[in-house]
Amino acid sequence: MELSDSVVDYLRQVAGLPDLSGTRYELEREIGRGGLGVVYAARDQQLNRRVALKVFDFPMPQEAQLIAQLEHPAIVPIYEAGTLPDGRSFYAMKLVRGTRLDHYLARSPYLAERLRVIGRVAEAIAFAHARGVIHRDLKPQNVMVGEFGEVYVMDWGVDAVAGTPAFRAPESKLDRRSDIYALGILLRFVLPKPQPAALRAIALKAMMPDAGKRYQTVNEFLADIERFQEGLAVEAWTEPLWHRMRRFGSRNGVLLWLFGAYATVKFLLFFLRHL
Amino acid sequence: MSKIWVGLVFGLVLGAIDGATAWFTPEARPLIGGILVGSSIKGMIVGLLSGWFAVKVHSIKWGIAVGASLGLLFALLVALMQKNHYLEIMLPGFVLGGVIGFLTQRLGTPGVPQAIRPEAGRERMR
Amino acid sequence: MDTDTGIGGKTGQFPSTDLSLLAATHDEFPNQALERIVALYWKPVYRFIRVKFRKSNEDAKDLTQGFFSTALERDFFQKFVSSRAPFRTYLRMAVVRFAANHRAAEMRQKRGGDVEFEPLQEELFAAHSAEDVFEREWRRQLFSLALDDLRAHCRAGGKDLQLRIFEEYDLDRSKHSSYAELAAGLGITEVSVTNHLAWARRMLRALVTDRLREVTSNDGELRHEVRRLWS
Repeated sequence: MELSDSVVDYLRQVAGLPDLSGTRYELEREIGRGGLGVVYAARDQQLNRRVALKVFDFPMPQEAQLIAQLEHPAIVPIYEAGTLPDGRSFYAMKLVRGTRLDHYLARSPYLAERLRVIGRVAEAIAFAHARGVIHRDLKPQNVMVGEFGEVYVMDWGVDAVAGTPAFRAPESKLDRRSDIYALGILLRFVLPKPQPAALRAIALKAMMPDAGKRYQTVNEFLADIERFQEGLAVEAWTEPLWHRMRRFGSRNGVLLWLFGAYATVKFLLFFLRHL
Repeated sequence: MSKIWVGLVFGLVLGAIDGATAWFTPEARPLIGGILVGSSIKGMIVGLLSGWFAVKVHSIKWGIAVGASLGLLFALLVALMQKNHYLEIMLPGFVLGGVIGFLTQRLGTPGVPQAIRPEAGRERMR
Repeated sequence: MDTDTGIGGKTGQFPSTDLSLLAATHDEFPNQALERIVALYWKPVYRFIRVKFRKSNEDAKDLTQGFFSTALERDFFQKFVSSRAPFRTYLRMAVVRFAANHRAAEMRQKRGGDVEFEPLQEELFAAHSAEDVFEREWRRQLFSLALDDLRAHCRAGGKDLQLRIFEEYDLDRSKHSSYAELAAGLGITEVSVTNHLAWARRMLRALVTDRLREVTSNDGELRHEVRRLWS
């Protein structure tokens, strides 16, 4: 007898679930699909806490071992890695309660807040680069903003072939500068409309098709953003004179007002004397 | 550069500039040399005191207020000595004092506060 | 009622005339792989043709046979380039082209006489559901073949109990048996039911993946298909 559609769907569901028998985890529900694996919410029965389990259909990428060693506030800590009875590899990590970046932006946060999030992401990327780990698939869906404003970068080290083409650098061999490319796209993604010219220039520099023309390190990218935040000229943009004067004025508004008051007083006194 | 030095330098420069503007008053031109020196010293004193205040209190608003007040006070003293040109001396002195107060707040390093200087600590331990 | 053919069904059998064609024409291409490809795709292609081109059972069978015969003659499988599209999509598009050429030939034969034009609108609606039909049928066939593999594996390995539990709990959904009921009926503990069921599901998943591996050309395509299947 032929299998019915409902039986096929049911088998897809039950055979697709991870087999957690013999592990300390109890499956709760699927919470997302990212990279090369499926993420489930589960309960760690030994420590009585909820965790996220990422289950891979294929042997875990080697870099996952490196990622497990990364300890950074913006990198979700990994508690355990191993192989399930059904042969699939997994790792258990902190269950992050928060909002994906693309959804978070729908709340229209201020520019300062958007740049804060980008800064946290970039710091995590810089930290990982210093330890030889490349993200390869950085995009808004892989950034979470927690309920207290903490920022997490997820889905490390997976093959970017599985990722979104729009965020993937044009070069075929991905390296750190590919992550910088993705940071540029991420920056452009979070910028409000109209986009400040200096920030758009920073994003465009990070997104140069020629990797040699981008920022060569994440710290250079971060430094330019910090310069913008402090009202200084950014390296990515040769600003026109009127913009430089406006920036000077906004940084030194009080001083200009005081000098203006002094000049006005002097002028008025001169004028009154000669009436 | 410490805030006190910032006050002294800007007080000197701005005081000299303020004194130099007396050239536009014909009757003051013969005395321009003395006016320049006096105005510069006045500026330096205002700058010194504003700088000292800026070390103790970090507030742009209060820095401007204290600088302006000091500028007004010393300008009044100068005007009393002249017994003339009260408005021409006090009003610019008031505003320039505010400028010096702002600059001492914005620029310069506050220096090491008293409480954590090693010498102070050693004295207490004795 | 024009019922579907039983050809290409659960056991993966296909008309014996094609077996000799497979054996004879493509020595450099593994015959077993070709057999298993055709076993997986025969029924989905047949159903696709029935829905998309509104063919009767017999016409659809003939067309399906004709497609696979032609495909084997023209090295269709060897020409597949995995970077362009999944094999499933490549095959489906080839079926459409084949059927269209076949229909054009039919129309040429009819020219000069009463020419029948199938309404275009109906075909457009059919086109949308035909792809769904192809996908569903492909999945059904994939699981059917994997279940056959599972049964063969269990019988060969003396895992009849595991197979029985799996078939009663997961395949016969009408009974809605609980673990406790199954355990009581078989005289074993609930924990044993849980473990045996988990084993059978693991095996099924592995066998489905094996079947998929046979019809994909590289790891990347396999991962893509696995991800699609279990989503």
